[in-house]
Amino acid sequence: MDEFQEILQDFLVESFELVEKLDEDLVELENNPEDLELLNGIFRVAHTVKGASSFLNFDVLTHLTHHMEDVLNKARHGDLILTPDIMDVVLESIDLMKALLETIRDTSADAGIDVAACVSRLDKISGGDGEVVAPAAVEAVVAPEPVVEEVVATTPAEDEPDYDSMSPDDLEAEIEKLLQERQSEDKAKREAKIAAGEEVLAAPPEPTEEPAAAKPEPTPEPTPAPAPVAQAPAPKAEVKHDDPKAAAPAKRTPAAVEQTIRVDVKRLDHLMNLIGELVLAKNRLIKINDDVEERYEGEEFLEELNQVVSIVSLVTTDLQIAVMKTRMLPIGKVFNKFPRMIRDLSRELNKKIDLELGGEDTELDKSIVEEIGDPLVHIIRNSCDHGVETPEERLAQGKEETGTIGLKAYNEGNQIVIQIDDDGKGLDTQMLKNKSLEKGLITEKEADSMSDKEAFGLIFKPGFSTAAAVTSVSGRGVGMDVVKTNIEKLNGMIDIESEIGVGTSMKLKIPLTLAIIQALLVGVQEEYYAIPLASVLETVRISKDEIYTVEGRSVMRLRDEVLSLVHIGDIFEVERILDANEHAYVVVLGLGTSKLGLIVDTLVGQEEIVIKSLGDYLKGIEGIAGATIRGDGGVTLIVDVVALMSMARDVKSTPMGGESSAVAISNEKTKASDYTVMIVDDSKTDRTIMRKALEPMGMTLVEACDGQEALNILKAGDHNFDAMLVDIEMPRMDGYTLATEIKKYNKYKNLPLIAVTSRTGKSDRMRGVESGMIEYITKPYSADYLSSVVQRNVNFKSEFL
Amino acid sequence: MSDKLKNIINKQGEQQNRDLNQLDDIVQLVGFVIGEEEYAIPILAIQEIIKPFSWTRVPQVPPYVLGVFNLRGAVIPLLDLRLKFGLPSKKQSDETRFIVMRHGDDVAGFVIDRLTMAIRLKKTDIGPPPDTVNGDDTIIDGVGKQEDKIITILKVNKLLERDF
Repeated sequence: MDEFQEILQDFLVESFELVEKLDEDLVELENNPEDLELLNGIFRVAHTVKGASSFLNFDVLTHLTHHMEDVLNKARHGDLILTPDIMDVVLESIDLMKALLETIRDTSADAGIDVAACVSRLDKISGGDGEVVAPAAVEAVVAPEPVVEEVVATTPAEDEPDYDSMSPDDLEAEIEKLLQERQSEDKAKREAKIAAGEEVLAAPPEPTEEPAAAKPEPTPEPTPAPAPVAQAPAPKAEVKHDDPKAAAPAKRTPAAVEQTIRVDVKRLDHLMNLIGELVLAKNRLIKINDDVEERYEGEEFLEELNQVVSIVSLVTTDLQIAVMKTRMLPIGKVFNKFPRMIRDLSRELNKKIDLELGGEDTELDKSIVEEIGDPLVHIIRNSCDHGVETPEERLAQGKEETGTIGLKAYNEGNQIVIQIDDDGKGLDTQMLKNKSLEKGLITEKEADSMSDKEAFGLIFKPGFSTAAAVTSVSGRGVGMDVVKTNIEKLNGMIDIESEIGVGTSMKLKIPLTLAIIQALLVGVQEEYYAIPLASVLETVRISKDEIYTVEGRSVMRLRDEVLSLVHIGDIFEVERILDANEHAYVVVLGLGTSKLGLIVDTLVGQEEIVIKSLGDYLKGIEGIAGATIRGDGGVTLIVDVVALMSMARDVKSTPMGGESSAVAISNEKTKASDYTVMIVDDSKTDRTIMRKALEPMGMTLVEACDGQEALNILKAGDHNFDAMLVDIEMPRMDGYTLATEIKKYNKYKNLPLIAVTSRTGKSDRMRGVESGMIEYITKPYSADYLSSVVQRNVNFKSEFL
Repeated sequence: MSDKLKNIINKQGEQQNRDLNQLDDIVQLVGFVIGEEEYAIPILAIQEIIKPFSWTRVPQVPPYVLGVFNLRGAVIPLLDLRLKFGLPSKKQSDETRFIVMRHGDDVAGFVIDRLTMAIRLKKTDIGPPPDTVNGDDTIIDGVGKQEDKIITILKVNKLLERDF
C-alpha cells in the first residue's frame, strides 16, 4: 500500500505538471496547427499519462487518454487537420482529464466522471477506428461514486478527537494493522479483478475497498502531519478514508521529537544557487591570495591571510557537499514502482518476467531522480514488450521460461550508472535499419555506413517503432524518444549493447549533480576553455615532431596506441595571433571506449566550476556545454566533450605554426603623417627629447610610459606602427620583455624595434638582439642620429622631407 | 492638521491621475547612435546601461555576436549592433556603451556607438515604419518625429530574437 501511495503521488505530481503545460501548448497549436514539434510534445504528454495511469489501474483515465492519443497521433502523421471544431473536442477531453486527475487526487480512484460522450466524439474524429469500449461500462463506474463522496465528506470530522487521544505507540500499531488489512484487501481485489476482468471496476467499490492509506508515508516514527505543500497542486493530498482510525493523521502527537522537517524544494534550490556564487567568490579569493603572495613575499600578514583563505575554501567545500547531500535521494524511490509494473505488464503480454533490482541505495540529486523515472518506465516497458520473448519462444530457444530484467544503479567516478539488462532476443541491427528505411528516418546511404552502435541508436529516433501493431503498452514510437530527450537534458549518455538471442543491456550514465563540476582549464592563444575533468584521462606534453599526419589527420603515438589528435583551435575557430610554441600539451579525452587527443597551448589547472547556461539566445552551439565565471570575473566556456568528439571527425587538421602568414602592414604611404612611431620610455624628459628629434619629419608619434602600456596600445590596434623606440629600464615591464612579447605575435614579426638606452654593456646588447631588437642606440645621442636611424627603419620616403 | 493632510493627499492623488493620463499618450525612449543614424528603444526594455568591459568570444556564431560577458554572475550574450546593421566594425571609444535589454526572460547586451538622451514622444508623433520595410520581419517598430530629425524606434523583441 505504502508503495502504491508513493507511486500515486509521483504520478499525480507529474501529471499535473504535464497537463499544465499542455494547456499552453494546445492554445499555441491552434494558432499554429502545422507545428510538428508542438504536436509531438502534446502527444507525448497524452502518451505518458496514459502509460502511467494504465498500470495504476485508472481505467477511465486510460480509456480517455488512449482515445486522445489516437486523435493526436493522426494529426501528427498529417492524416488529420486540426480544425477549431476538432480542437474543441480535444480541449474538452483535456478538461476531462484534469477533472479525472483531481478526482484521483481526492479519492484515489478515477470514478465519477462520464467520459463516454467525449470518447465517442474523439472516436468520430479519428474515424471510429479506435478501441471501441461500450460506454455502458464507463457509466457503471460512475454510479457508485456519490457513496464514496459522502463518506469522505462526513466521517473524518466525527472521529478525530478519538484519534488525538491515542498514544504514539497505539497510533503506530493502528497504522500497521490498517496497512496489513489494506494490503490483503488490495491483493484480493486485484485477484478478483483479474478473474472477472473489467467488470470489477464496475461493481460498486465498498467503502473499505477504496485504495487509500491514511498517511502518504506511513513511516513508524510519529512525524508531524504532512503539511500540504502549497505550490504543488497534489503531492500531499490527504487521502480521505472512511475508517475512523485512519482518517485523521497524527496531527498533534504530543511531545514528539522533531527529527525531520519538510523543506520547500525552492528553498533548497535557492541555497544551491547561493553556494554556487560562494564557490565563485572562493575561487576569486584564492586567486587574489596568490597575487598578494607574489607581491608581498615574506610579509608577516601573509601567513594569516593564507590561513583565512584556506579555512574559507575548506568550509565552502564542506558546505557545498552538505547542501548537495540534502538534495540527494536514494534511487530506490524510483525503482519501487517497477516490480508492480513488471507484474502487470507480464500479465498483459502473457509473458513470464522476473525483475531483479540492485543498488537501490545509490543516491542521486533530487532533480535527477525526478527526471529519471519517466525514461526508465519507457525503457522497461520496451524491454518487456520487445525484448523478452514469450515463454514458448524461450523454451524453443532453450532458454528458461521466465525472462529476467535486471535494473541496477551504481556509482562510477563522477557519474551514476543505471543499467537495464534483459535476457531477451536482443536488437537485430539489420531489422532496425530496414524499419528505419521503411519509415523514412534514414537514407540507404546512411544505413550502409552505419556501425552497430549507431544502428542501436535508431531506436531513439522519434517515430521509430518495431511493433507491428499499436498496443496499449507500446508501438507508437514515442517512448524511446522521450528517453533520449530526458537523459540528454540531464547531460547524460545512453550506451546500448546487444547480442541477438542473448539480450540487451542499456546503460544510462548521468552526472551526480548538475550544478558544480571539476574542470581542467586549458589555454589556446589568448582564450581559455574548461573541460569537465570526468572526461579527461590524462595530459601529455609533446613536441611538434611527435605529431604525425595520416590521411590528412594528425595522430601521435601514446605508449602502445595511436591516438588521433585535433587542435582545439581548429574546432573553436580560434584566430592564430600568437606564434605557436615548439611544445604543446595533449589532453587525452575518453568517452566510453573512444579516445581523442586535444591539442592545447597551455594547461592552466584544475578548478571547481559552476555551470551556467548560455541562455536561450546562444543555446545549442555545437561543442559548448555552457559557461562559467572565473575567479577574475571573466567568462570561460565549457567544452561539451561528446559533441567535440563528433566534431573532431569532420575537422581537417591545419599544420601547427609553419607558414606564418604575417600580415603586410606596409600600407601605401601618401604623406609623412602616415608613418607612425611609438615611443616607449618611463622618463617624460627622454620622451620629449625623442619627440623633438622626430617631430620635424612630420611623423605621427604615440607615447607610452612602460612596456605594459605599450603592449596594450599595440593590441588595441588603433594605429599601424612602423617602428617602436623602446627604453630598456622601465617599471612593470622592461624593454626586453616587451620585445619578446611583441615578437610572439605573427603580425608584428617584422615590426622594427629600436632600443634607446643608457645601458652600454656588450651583454645588454646581446640580450637586446635575442629579444628581437634590431637597432641599439645608446644615450646620449644626437637628434640627427636618432632621426636617421628611424628613417632608415621605416623606409621613410625622401620626398616627404 | 488632519484636514491639511487630507488636502495634500487629495492633491497628490489628482496629480498622479493627471500624470497617468499624460503617460497614456507619451512614450519614453532612450536614443542612441549607431554609425550615422539615431535609434531609440523604449526605456522600460532597458535593464541597464554600462561601460564596456571584456567579453569572451563564442565560436560558431555570426560575426555580430561578439560573445558572452559576466553581468554580476549571469552569463549574457553580447551583440554588436554596428555589425548587425551591416556597418563595418569600429574601435570602441570612450562613448561606447553596452545597453542591456530585456524582453520577458530574454536578456542580451548590445554595443552601441554613443548614447544621445532620454526622449519623450507623443504617440501621435510616431508613425509606422516605411512601407518598404513593412512586414513581420522588420526590426523597426516605428519612426518618431522630432522638430529637426526623425528617430528609428526598434523592436526589442526582434533584437533579442535569435536569427541564426
